[in-house]
Amino acid sequence: MEPKRHITVIETASILVSTIIGVGVLPLPLFAVNAGDSGAPLITFVAVLFATVGVVLIAVLGMRFPEQTIVQYGETIIGKWPGRLGSLLVIGFFAVLTSLTAREFGEVVVTAVLKKTPVEVTVIVMLLLAALSVRNNLTTFSYIHYFYFPLLLFPALFIVALSLKNADVQNILPIWGNRPVGVTRGIITITALFQGSFILTSVIPHMRRPEYAMRASMVGMLVAGGLYVIIVAATVSVFGAEETKKLLWPTLELAKATSLPANVLERLDAAFLAVWVTAVFTTLLSSYFLTIQSASQLLKLKDHRMFSFFLLPFVFVMAMQPQNIVQMYQIIELVGRIGLFITIAYPAMLLVVSILRKKRGERVDDRSNP
Amino acid sequence: MSTSASLGTFEDKIAYIEGKCGDNGDFSARRFQVFGRYPAALFGFSNMINPEMLNTNVLRPLMYRPLQLDDVDDLPPERLRDVLINDSLFFSQAKIEEAPDRWISGLVHGQSVVVIDGLEGAIVVETRHIEKRGIEQPLTEQVIRGPREGFIEMLGTNLSLIRYRLQTPEFRVHTMEIGRRTHSSVAICHIDGITNPELVNEVKRRLSKIDVDGVLDSGYLEQYIEDNHITPFPQVQYTERPDKVVANLLEGRVAILVDGSPLALIVPTVFSQFYQTVEDYTERFLLMSAIRMARLVALMFSLVFPSLYVSIISFNPELIPTEFAVAVAGGRAGVPFPAVVEVLIMEISMEVLREATIRLPQQVGGALSIVGVLVIGQAAVSAGFASPITVVIIALTTIGSFATPAYNAALALRLLRFPLVIMAGIFGLYGVMIGLILIANHMLSLKSFGIPYLSPLIPGNFQGLKDLLIRGPLWWMKKRPAFLQTIDRDRLGSNTPPEREARNVLDPQKIKNKQER
Repeated sequence: MEPKRHITVIETASILVSTIIGVGVLPLPLFAVNAGDSGAPLITFVAVLFATVGVVLIAVLGMRFPEQTIVQYGETIIGKWPGRLGSLLVIGFFAVLTSLTAREFGEVVVTAVLKKTPVEVTVIVMLLLAALSVRNNLTTFSYIHYFYFPLLLFPALFIVALSLKNADVQNILPIWGNRPVGVTRGIITITALFQGSFILTSVIPHMRRPEYAMRASMVGMLVAGGLYVIIVAATVSVFGAEETKKLLWPTLELAKATSLPANVLERLDAAFLAVWVTAVFTTLLSSYFLTIQSASQLLKLKDHRMFSFFLLPFVFVMAMQPQNIVQMYQIIELVGRIGLFITIAYPAMLLVVSILRKKRGERVDDRSNP
Repeated sequence: MSTSASLGTFEDKIAYIEGKCGDNGDFSARRFQVFGRYPAALFGFSNMINPEMLNTNVLRPLMYRPLQLDDVDDLPPERLRDVLINDSLFFSQAKIEEAPDRWISGLVHGQSVVVIDGLEGAIVVETRHIEKRGIEQPLTEQVIRGPREGFIEMLGTNLSLIRYRLQTPEFRVHTMEIGRRTHSSVAICHIDGITNPELVNEVKRRLSKIDVDGVLDSGYLEQYIEDNHITPFPQVQYTERPDKVVANLLEGRVAILVDGSPLALIVPTVFSQFYQTVEDYTERFLLMSAIRMARLVALMFSLVFPSLYVSIISFNPELIPTEFAVAVAGGRAGVPFPAVVEVLIMEISMEVLREATIRLPQQVGGALSIVGVLVIGQAAVSAGFASPITVVIIALTTIGSFATPAYNAALALRLLRFPLVIMAGIFGLYGVMIGLILIANHMLSLKSFGIPYLSPLIPGNFQGLKDLLIRGPLWWMKKRPAFLQTIDRDRLGSNTPPEREARNVLDPQKIKNKQER
């Protein structure tokens, strides 16, 4: 009944963008500044380049196997059991990523707006929201991303535009940083923020024209990466590098510092956070979708829906593991670094092996099934 | 099923009909002689038939021999059949039916049945006459500029209203009967060569699956053919305007009319149809685009305004300007409840008031609305029930929900407002967003006959965007909506005006020049 190939290039790009842009934007300037003080925008830019490499790998792999997801072609490329082990790692990693995203945003909400609400409640609400929405099929999934896409792009750009009033270019000079320490670490941390782009592996088998996956991923990375660089540049130019280091969520502080002209809304942080719920939701939706879809494919199930509530308690318990915000960010950095092996090194390895073993998926003749 | 052969004689047939319908007080049977020699009987439900027509057009020609047959001396029974139909009965809708059950179904439809001795079968004459009200202005869909006619209950009249506006042989009407006991006629209308045939077949299939004892209104059918039953959002549009039906048929949709219901159903339906009106297209595009935007604002108001108010007052008063926040706090000083309870009380009393005004007889309605407004407005504030600002918010919300042209869509948003207010009371703006995301996701997953509910916004279609938030000029909308997958896609000829080379025939400059010459 459901036509198999229907996701357009624009929808793919918007899936990428809205998956990547998430709660990570809030502490992003802090990571960047810690790595290269006034060189933060440059660091971010380099990290975007690294992340693009990862996405390119996934896109190339996906175009080689346009009918399959990574769980399926993993087995084809490196054999049944190693492939399954790889898939298991992917599933585990994205389950952890889902839980950490939910926890991080839960902490933000509890700290910034709902001060009396326990963090468990905000976390479980976000997770329930994702679990309910993930029960839809991939068509609706792509519609959801496409629908929210403008909703997360424009508020961010809006805040940046309004904050330019207080910006000072001197704050981001010299652009290569004063005394950069821990540049590599910072780049890795920021690159890890792009891990959501792994969702491409699930989307490509449903694209109307998989051969355009590369174009879609380039557009997606351009928009998401561009937004990241702009936000870092705006934050650092408003607060200055040293001030930014003292802020936990500099992007949120940026929203706090700006106000609408004519004083319609005096502060924008709560409104920004409210709109940002959609951004976090789309990220959660993608990572959770990837988790349960991969899990059901690993077990060769037809329907991914039964997992949506089955996995929920596990994800929730994992989200509650960090004791406080400091420990949470340590874990996030650690998981991010491990994740790079899964989201970049694993596809790279698959690609190399598939080239060496001359494995290829069946080509789709899209004329025959439009 | 018994045939007329098994019924045999004349008296058998009479006994059969009497046995089926004879118990009814409004059933009439009358014996007479055809041409003064053949015994015959006439049956009918007396209140459903037009007696005058029956007397002059059926009984008289049957009793008197036609003039042209005066010279024929002897009329054998074999020729009687031809003579009756071809020479005698000057009545367009009369035919000979062989099957007795057809006589009965004809009788209950308001037809008359004539049984004649020596004639196979019986003559069934269309004599149906049922009192109907006149064609009036559509009450629920008033326009300032546009046709004034609305559907009435009679299916035949409604079809004629449509055909009068759509004078093409390609306009197709397929009728079927639904309802085991009511046998209501249902007409499925589409335009051949525009509407996707798959869609017509699917509508027919869904309708033919319905097996209920009665269909009293098109609303019954709507609930059987919609795609998703547990959703507040309507997936079928109804209208009582023939021009709206025609416009939708021309776009490639299918209309369903039911005998006895003044409301036609239109499928498939997308959300944008619920805030569009006929008037959008009859008035000039610039003005109506602005008005459509205003309607959209009203739509959003009716959904989110109270919840935004609750969350800002209870959780984030720092968002609004300080002076205003102080004023709001001052207004709420005497109110004992939290904002969410206050808003809920007011909303519920507003809903009660609205329901009461609909049900009350018109004479009392005016009085009630005055009392209600006083209670909701002034008295609630002075009694310390609600703050003045809450009353303003509730009033804006209610007015906003009236501005949505489609009652059923407005109802959906009205209903969804309550969970949003509760979410706002628990989680503030965060909760409102969660609620809105749930609503949006739900709408994104809805479909009407396979068409995504938010088309043409999602999935995006540039042509469709011209008639989504604004109403583009008519000559921009060259194509029919793409999501309907019509056979004939073009609405406009390739070089239809607007008049690009307007000639200034009455330019005063010209006239002056002429005079000077």
